Amino acid sequence: MTRLQQQLDPLQLARLGSLPVKARVIVEGALSGLHRASVHGSSVEFAEHKEYSPGDELRHVDWKAYAKLDRYYVKQFEQESQLTLYLVLDASASMKFAGGGLAKLEYAGLSLAALAYLVIQQQDKVGLIACGDRGIETMVPPRARTTHLHDLLGVLDQVMTKGGRGDESPAHALTRIAELSRRRRSLIVLASDLFDPDDETVRALCTLRAQHHDVSVLHVLDPHERTFPYEGLTEFHGLESAAKLLANPAAIRKEYLERMDAFCTKCKNTLAQAGVDYHEVLTDRPLERTLLDLLMARARLQPGTARRAG
Amino acid sequence: MGFLAPIMLVGALVIGVPIAIHLIGRRRARIVPFAALDFLMTTKRRTARRLRLRERMLLIVRALACLAVAVALAKPFTSCERKGPQVTRGPQAAVIVIDDSFAASVLVEGKPWFKRANEEARRILTQLGPEAEVAIVRASEGAEHPTELTRDHLRLRDQLLALEPSARPPDTTRALTRAAQLLAASSHVRKTVFLLSLLAKTGLRPDEPPWGKDGPTLVTLDLRPAKLSNVAVTSLHVDPDPGTGTRGVSFDAEVGNFGDAPAKVELSLSIADRVVARGQLELAPHERKSKRFLAALPPGARATDAAVSLTGDALAIDDKRYVRATLRDEVRVLLVDGDPRTVRHDDELFYVEAALRPGDREDSGTQVRSITAEELAGIDPRARGRTAAPTIDLNDFDVVVLANVPALPPERVAVLNEWVRAGGGILVAPGDRVDPTAYDRSMLPLLPQSLRDPIDTTWGSSQEDRDSRALHLVKWEADHPIFTPFSKDAPELADAKFFKISLLGPTTATADRKVLARFTNGAAALVEASIGAGRTLLFTSTLDRDWNDLPIHPGFLPLVQQAVRHLARKHALGSDSDHLVGSSVALPTSDLKKLEIRGPDGVGAVFEGDRLANRSSVRFGKTDHPGVYRVIGTDQTGATRDRDELAFVINVDPRGSDLTPAQTSALPASGTGSATTPADNQRRVELWHALAAIVLLLLVAEGVLVQR
Repeated sequence: MTRLQQQLDPLQLARLGSLPVKARVIVEGALSGLHRASVHGSSVEFAEHKEYSPGDELRHVDWKAYAKLDRYYVKQFEQESQLTLYLVLDASASMKFAGGGLAKLEYAGLSLAALAYLVIQQQDKVGLIACGDRGIETMVPPRARTTHLHDLLGVLDQVMTKGGRGDESPAHALTRIAELSRRRRSLIVLASDLFDPDDETVRALCTLRAQHHDVSVLHVLDPHERTFPYEGLTEFHGLESAAKLLANPAAIRKEYLERMDAFCTKCKNTLAQAGVDYHEVLTDRPLERTLLDLLMARARLQPGTARRAG
Repeated sequence: MGFLAPIMLVGALVIGVPIAIHLIGRRRARIVPFAALDFLMTTKRRTARRLRLRERMLLIVRALACLAVAVALAKPFTSCERKGPQVTRGPQAAVIVIDDSFAASVLVEGKPWFKRANEEARRILTQLGPEAEVAIVRASEGAEHPTELTRDHLRLRDQLLALEPSARPPDTTRALTRAAQLLAASSHVRKTVFLLSLLAKTGLRPDEPPWGKDGPTLVTLDLRPAKLSNVAVTSLHVDPDPGTGTRGVSFDAEVGNFGDAPAKVELSLSIADRVVARGQLELAPHERKSKRFLAALPPGARATDAAVSLTGDALAIDDKRYVRATLRDEVRVLLVDGDPRTVRHDDELFYVEAALRPGDREDSGTQVRSITAEELAGIDPRARGRTAAPTIDLNDFDVVVLANVPALPPERVAVLNEWVRAGGGILVAPGDRVDPTAYDRSMLPLLPQSLRDPIDTTWGSSQEDRDSRALHLVKWEADHPIFTPFSKDAPELADAKFFKISLLGPTTATADRKVLARFTNGAAALVEASIGAGRTLLFTSTLDRDWNDLPIHPGFLPLVQQAVRHLARKHALGSDSDHLVGSSVALPTSDLKKLEIRGPDGVGAVFEGDRLANRSSVRFGKTDHPGVYRVIGTDQTGATRDRDELAFVINVDPRGSDLTPAQTSALPASGTGSATTPADNQRRVELWHALAAIVLLLLVAEGVLVQR
């Protein structure tokens, strides 16, 4: 565990065994530095005492307190509703890009696997939708059982093994989730590079948020996409199309980076305005750090969003 | 172009290297699958185009650099003709011969050729250095030449700066000869003649080489443009044109095209500075054509200036030619009436006066004074005082006509004879008052032949036969000036009937006696002879209708006028002789006490006092400019006026208009010790320095392109 206490290189992590193991390592790495109480407990937790008043349920009277204080106090509990988490993995062809380290798809898959592991541990429901290849959508319905984790991770492993393909944006999958969780608010976590020429994905995320779902986005990018470190005459081949571009990277670097910055800023601002939790992550960033950032952000959002008084 | 190391040109094959690199480079481009290609594709077109351009430019630059390196290593060189004359600085003797003929003022690219030649001359002078002894020799005809070489270069420079093209034709051979003479007197070993000339062939006389084998070095500066054309008015003649009227004249202008291209010129005739006619001429290369203008002289003027000019030519000075158009000079005639009558038409001189002054007009060209035979006593100085006859100065007359005048006393005849010998002309016509015997006694010094008794061809004939027995004029000298207006069988003369004529006796002591016309019976009708510088004419019938009816025939008027003009020696007048620039003009002094000549530039000369005294004529030689030269005379009374009759025109010599270049062989060869050989005129110019610089520039360009 000593090693895991350090931040793990995603590339090294990827070399670890099966996906469940990787997920557990990530989760444990992420949680090892946190205060346990903040995340530990069942779905019904004691919050505070309240002096009894007529109408309160007698079964919630704290008899021990009565014994000590000779007064009736009623226990109040924080009752969390069961969380339904939809993990949406963009498995389009653009996600298989790996500049020098982990492919974006792998990084996104590992992140979602760790999240699934964590949520299953909390006995919440987790579902998975992998999109990208047009007409072939991989979906694992949300379940809370422990065995479900294995199924989900198995599917996720398959998707990652197959690699990215197709050019379908996650917008369709997000729309599907909106239909599935119409009556119950869900947490939706999308891991994608958001390379969508029509901005459908961003619009779909905003729509979900407008339907009062909690939405988080892991905007997964490769460091090469953010720094464009290429030199010399280079022929760039598109991953989602047959387009090619022969260029001198030095000549186009500045303009490309400006456009990429503008794209990321636009995504961030648009989603932030809609209340979507946005995280830009590079694939060389430690996964547990990414997970922790996500959890911390969720924790900050909790009082006003998912938490309810019981 | 040549190469010192042509083997190095093999290195040009290296040009294949950048081409190969270019082709390989295109294939070796790294292929990178890239997810965010859309972000690149927006600049795809611009980038690709720029990249292609850059790649091609790089290929070109690299290929050129390789080629330039190979060529530079082969050490290329070229040879060129030396443009300027070879001028060596140092002690030497040199003569700069500069063409200052009027052709030197030809415009070449808008600038006078002479200006360029002058600049070159000054450059040569500077390059020769202060130790050189130099002279400037002008190559125009009649130009004054220096007498010695000098080291005073400042003066020579000023001389060059003050030099202007003359109005004379070129005489290059004379200038070269003078240059050789100047150099021959020098002790310097190095002797050079620098020739700055248009090298027109008219200025060179190959048969008169200016120097021999040991002559100086000749350096010819070829400043002549490749094409040099010129159109000029080469001659202009004016003649009376009776068809246009009494004041009518015709101008015949000859225009020459001295260029190699056809020329179309516009000609204009101006009289007294006023354009009166225009015309066009199309000339083939090296063709001469004439153009005739008809015009009338302004009323009241007996003489005026006229000029024919053309426009649009690079050499302006020969585009205008001047002429003096003069109506026939006035002939002053003294008519002596031997048979005056009160009835006008019966008078002996009635018809003669009418013929000499038709219409009694001022511009008839004749001044007539009629006197009686008695009044003729006024010519004799010894008789003055003894008679009432007014004094008559025969010098006021050109011709004396004795019409039916009885024989004169020997003294008067002697006076007349002396006057005739001095150049006067006398016409003698008999009549009823002429006694041949008396004539034989005293009048023979004035006659070509003695007179005999007249014969009357109609004696005893009836009125009907009278005409048939009359004599007619035949066999006249058609080529004689008197008969030039008539054809060989002119009816206006031949129809005249002569009823009575004087026969002639033995010839007198006159010279050049000649019978100019005869009657049908073979008798002489008109006899001419010379007496000293004068002439005498003897008409063997009367000048009125007493013996013939010639006066009422059309031929009478021209016959009398021609005869009088012939005697006055004023036949060929109408145009002055063509004086050329530089020629001296003789002007009669008459009785003037002061003669002033003003040229077209306002400069002239004044003859007075000793320069004029006891001289019948003066010579004026400052004719350096073409144009009209006015003469202002002051007579003995002190009256000063323009002497139109003495004005003259000066024209440029048409030889100078021909700019045809001379053959090289026409130039004299350089003498021994010549430092100039054909090889020396060739200069090798090495080009590899320039190529090395180009290589450097190409490498810099390559570096810039690579960085972009």
